[in-house]
Formats: sequence, C-alpha cells, structure tokens
Amino acid sequence: MNRDHTRKPGEAIFALILAAISLVALWQAYGISGFEALSAPGSFPMAVAAIMFVSALMIAIKTLRAAPAGGGFIYGVVPPFAALMAFLLLLYAVALVPLGFLPTSLIFLTISIMALHKRGFVRAFGISLVSLVVIYIVFRLVFTVLMPEGIVPEREILAFFRNLMAGGAE
Amino acid sequence: MDALSYFFIPWINLDLLALVAIGTFAGIYVGAIPGLSVTMAVSILISFTFSWEVYPALCLMVGIYMGGVYGGSRTAILLNIPGAPSAIATALDGYPLAQQGKAGEAIGLSTTMSFVGGLIGIGVLAVAAPAVSEFALKFQPRDYLLLAVLGLLLVGSLSGESLLKGLFCGALGLLIGTVGLDPLTAQERFTFGVVELWGGVSFIAVMIGMFGVAEALIQLRHVDTTPVKQKISRIVPTWGAIRKHLPLSLQTSSIGVIIGALPGTGGDIAALMAYDHAKRVTKNPKVPFGKGAEEGLVAPETANNAAVGGAFIPMITLGIPGDAVTAIIIGALFIHGLNPGPMLMIDKPDMFWFITGALFLANIFMLIFGLTGIRIFTKIVEAPRAVLIPMILMLSIVGAYAVNNSLTDVYFMLGFGVLGYFMKVYGYQVGPVILGVILSRLIDENWRRAIISDQESLGLLMKGIATSPLSLVLFLAVLMIFFTQTPFWARIKAKAKAKSKAGKP
Repeated sequence: MNRDHTRKPGEAIFALILAAISLVALWQAYGISGFEALSAPGSFPMAVAAIMFVSALMIAIKTLRAAPAGGGFIYGVVPPFAALMAFLLLLYAVALVPLGFLPTSLIFLTISIMALHKRGFVRAFGISLVSLVVIYIVFRLVFTVLMPEGIVPEREILAFFRNLMAGGAE
Repeated sequence: MDALSYFFIPWINLDLLALVAIGTFAGIYVGAIPGLSVTMAVSILISFTFSWEVYPALCLMVGIYMGGVYGGSRTAILLNIPGAPSAIATALDGYPLAQQGKAGEAIGLSTTMSFVGGLIGIGVLAVAAPAVSEFALKFQPRDYLLLAVLGLLLVGSLSGESLLKGLFCGALGLLIGTVGLDPLTAQERFTFGVVELWGGVSFIAVMIGMFGVAEALIQLRHVDTTPVKQKISRIVPTWGAIRKHLPLSLQTSSIGVIIGALPGTGGDIAALMAYDHAKRVTKNPKVPFGKGAEEGLVAPETANNAAVGGAFIPMITLGIPGDAVTAIIIGALFIHGLNPGPMLMIDKPDMFWFITGALFLANIFMLIFGLTGIRIFTKIVEAPRAVLIPMILMLSIVGAYAVNNSLTDVYFMLGFGVLGYFMKVYGYQVGPVILGVILSRLIDENWRRAIISDQESLGLLMKGIATSPLSLVLFLAVLMIFFTQTPFWARIKAKAKAKSKAGKP
C-alpha cells in the first residue's frame, strides 16, 4: 500500500502540521454544537475533522518511522525557482488592485520570464507584451472579464478606439 | 419531444458551435503539453465564464474536457510523458510505436479510436441517463450519503498510493466545504467571526489554487527539460486498421463507460483496466504488449474517451462527480444556478440534451483537430515552459479575482496553491480534496436528513440500510473498498497466496 519507505526533507513536519491543524479543526467543530444531536450542525464537521486528525496522525507516525531520503529541503522540496515564483505571485496579488491589471501583469511576466527563461530584459519584455496583448484581447474583450483598472485609464482608451473605429466606419 | 431538439442547438447556433470548437482545440493542446492537465485548463478557464450565459459556458467546458482527455495521448506517444493521467496506459505501447518511427500511425489510430470510444460513451449517456435519473428519484437520503462516500473513497484510494493520504485529502475537502453558515440552521461553522467567510470558502479559489498554481509551481521543478522533436508521417489510419480493432474497441469502450459512470472513478482507471483487458483477450498480438502493440493503444484510448460520456451520467443524474473534472463542472453548474441531480432531468431536460449534443459535437471536432494540424501541434508543444508557466500563474490570479471581483478569493487561492504544492510534493492527491469540497454539502445534508427521518437513532438507520437492497449494496461496497485498502487485507491476501503455493505439489 505504502510504497515509499523513505521520507522527503520536511515531510514529517508537514504531516505533523496537518495533524495539528486537524486537531484545531476538531476542537473548533466541537465548539459548533458539541455532542448535542447526531443531526446537529456540528456533527458532520466533527466527524470529518476526526477522520482528518486520525489519518494525519497515522501518516505522521508512518513518516517519522521511515528512513530519511537524501537531498536538502531547498533543492529537493522547494527549489529556488518555485519559491521565487510564489513570492512574485504574492506581490502580484498585492499590486493587482492599486496598480491595475495591465501594468502589474507586464511587470510580473517580464520579471518571471527573465528569471525562468534566462533571457535579457528586451526579449522578456517583448514576449510579455505580445502575450499580454493576446490575453487582454481574449479575456477582457472577447470573454468580457472585468479586471482591475488601477492607474491605466482603460475605459477612456477603449472608448477612444471605439470612437476611432466608429469614425472610420462612417 | 421538445427537449430532444436542444441536442442540436450547439450544432446550429454558430456562436455555440465555435465555442465547442475552441474548447476542444484548447483542450487538445493544453492536454498535450506535459504538465498542463485538463483539470488545470478547465479550472482556470471556467472561472472566466461565470459572467456568461449557461449555454456558451457549457459549450466551452465540454469541449475542453473532451479535447483534454484525448490530448494527453499525444505526448504519451511522442514523449512518453502522459499529458493527462488518463493517458498513462497509452504511453505503454504508444511510445514504443513512436520509437519505431510509427508516431503518425499511432496518433492516427489513437485519434480514431478516441472518437469511437467517445461516441459510444455519449450514446450510453443519452440512453442511460434518463433511466438512471428516474431510478434515482427513488433514492433515500441515506443512499445519496452512501453513494457520495463511495465516490470519495474510490477517488481517495485509487488515485494515490496510500489510503490514509486519500482519506485525509477527502476529509480535508469535506471540511473546507463546511466553512460558512450552515445551510439548514444558519449557524456559523469555522468562520472565526469573519463575515467574509459566511458564504464559505470559494470553491474556485480551492480549485485554481490546487490545480492551477500548485501544478504550475510543481512544473517549475523541471523547467529546463526540453521536449524531444519527432518526425510524423502518415496520420489518417487505414480502414483496414480501424476494422481490425473495432471488436476490441467496442469491448474497451464498454469498460470505459462503466468505469466512468461509477462515482469517483474516471478515465485514468478506465484506461488502465481496458489495457489490462486487451492484454488478456488478445491472444496473439503481432507485437508484444509494451513493445508497441496497436491493441495496447486502442484499448486505453477508447476507454478514456468513453469514460467522458460515462462520467456525465452520475454527474447529471445524481449530482455526484465521476472525477476531478466533473467535480469542477458540477461546481460551475451550481454557480450558474443549476442543480445537478435527478430533478435536473425533470425540470430541465433541455439542459441534458444540450450537454449531450455539445459532447457529440466536441467528439467530432476532436477527430478533425486530431487528424489535422500536426505542424501547429509540434510548435505549441515546444513552447518553452519558462514562458507558459508565468502566464498560467497570471491567469490563475486573474481567474480567481474575476469570479467575485474580490481579493479575498485571490489570497485564499494562493494559500491553497502553496498547500497544494506541498501536498503534491509529499504524495498527497489533490483530486479527493476538490471532490470533497463539492460533495460536502450533499453528504452533510443527506446525513442529517437520513438521521432525522430515523429519529436520531443510528440503530434505526442501520436497520433501514439492511432492509433496503440498494442501500445494502452501497453500504457493502463502501465497506469492501475500505477494507481492501487496509493492511489487514494485504495480510490476508499474502496468507492466502502462501497457502495456495504450499498446497501445490
């Protein structure tokens, strides 16, 4: 059933964290309605949290018993690229509303392509700009998804183009 | 019948037709790029369709699903990397074929056979779903409860290596699904006094986080691997080849439909079982299995596409997803105000026929796009991941934001992305989590209905289960699946094996 008998770096800690979270969830679930009735609002959450806790605990015990596999946490589990991208994503989410979709995405794409693709600024900026234009056309104009405008007066620009097209058609 | 005419709506409405085509096309290519799964495509793209009407949104989803299941076979054949879990079995014989320089034939055969499988799956869906939903009207709450538990157990135990991890993931999903105001009593559950949590954790946030962000971050671990180039020759298979494999494909399609229709099992398991079946029934294969047998390609490819139609049966008639993708589609239907379940067939039979029509159309587009456009295909698959991944991450954020125009969802999504990343790295499956989130309300409500109708007595509930044939079968199935996954069962099996060996002279 359990084929891997070695544990990856950090795996046991992860299992223990999951068990701890499950225990907190169980306690919280008990707080909803206690053992009032089988049909009480808290009974299902309690049962589920109990399953989580028991299974997480058993996973943790199994993992602790397993022999540790080689490799460090940084290279085996969270390589620098993954950590960098996760951090960039967080910055992207924070800046999305105040700055707006277009500038944030352009900066995000350029930096990440520069880092991952190992290309110079101009090339990365070019790729980002082209892909962003395509994404903007598909999602904003065709799919009509609303995205935060931020500092770019998108509506005015779109209206300008529409007027231009309307003017050209006349 | 009026509702039946809705079958043709996606065919005659040009906008809808185009959306099915775009969806199928996108599905094929996303499914074909290693690391980009069909689940990822569906979860990110669906979030952009919530402001749409139901019909166009459904057309796009159905297309992506159908195309994605097929698309995974491409990279399985060309690179020995299954683009989707449902194509794992395809790689076993598909890749050896490509190594022998028969990549074109292999792709052509798998495309045609996927079409045959898809067709049979849709046919069964059209015939069986109305009957199943009529039958499902007789289901008691306890039957729904058992069925949902069964589905969750199946996903948890079959998709991962460890039952414990599967159980944990399923339970985690169920717990996430309970956050918010209790639907029956409006009591707060796990809200920690935060008003934003009253409506619950956005299902989209969980889904995009786990299937979009987590998956993309995982892919970053091997961002530098470059795809191998392959020359592709003849692609359209000969009529003789199709005729030769037709009997087998009919058998494996039936396997696909049945496995797909079981709640909790989808195309990946169907494909593996079909492969196994082909191995058993093909007495004298021209080429041995695993070395490039055409039968080993036909079986999984028919089965996984047949499973698509099959998976829609429990989804539409019972509201119970067959796999992660159907779980996402159910979630999307909820958001569009539809309630998959036996009442859907009664209240909105047009919706059912519309979906069936769109599936049929997607199957045809799959055949067309599959047999053409090989040049573009190789270009797209060669697109560097270093460019694709940042774009996927960006779309994940925008998608999570777009649903409610709220940053809370985005932060939740990122949180689930990081959690999903570690879960994947440490061998926890995220499929059961998403199934759990979708099934949580159904299980909770039906549990409470069942136990209330039995006067809060577990004894009476068990008596009810024991005296109803349907409930009893479901209950025994749950017990059996659970038991066969435990170490006790492994021990019993080992003992039995040792005995039979000792018994032999």
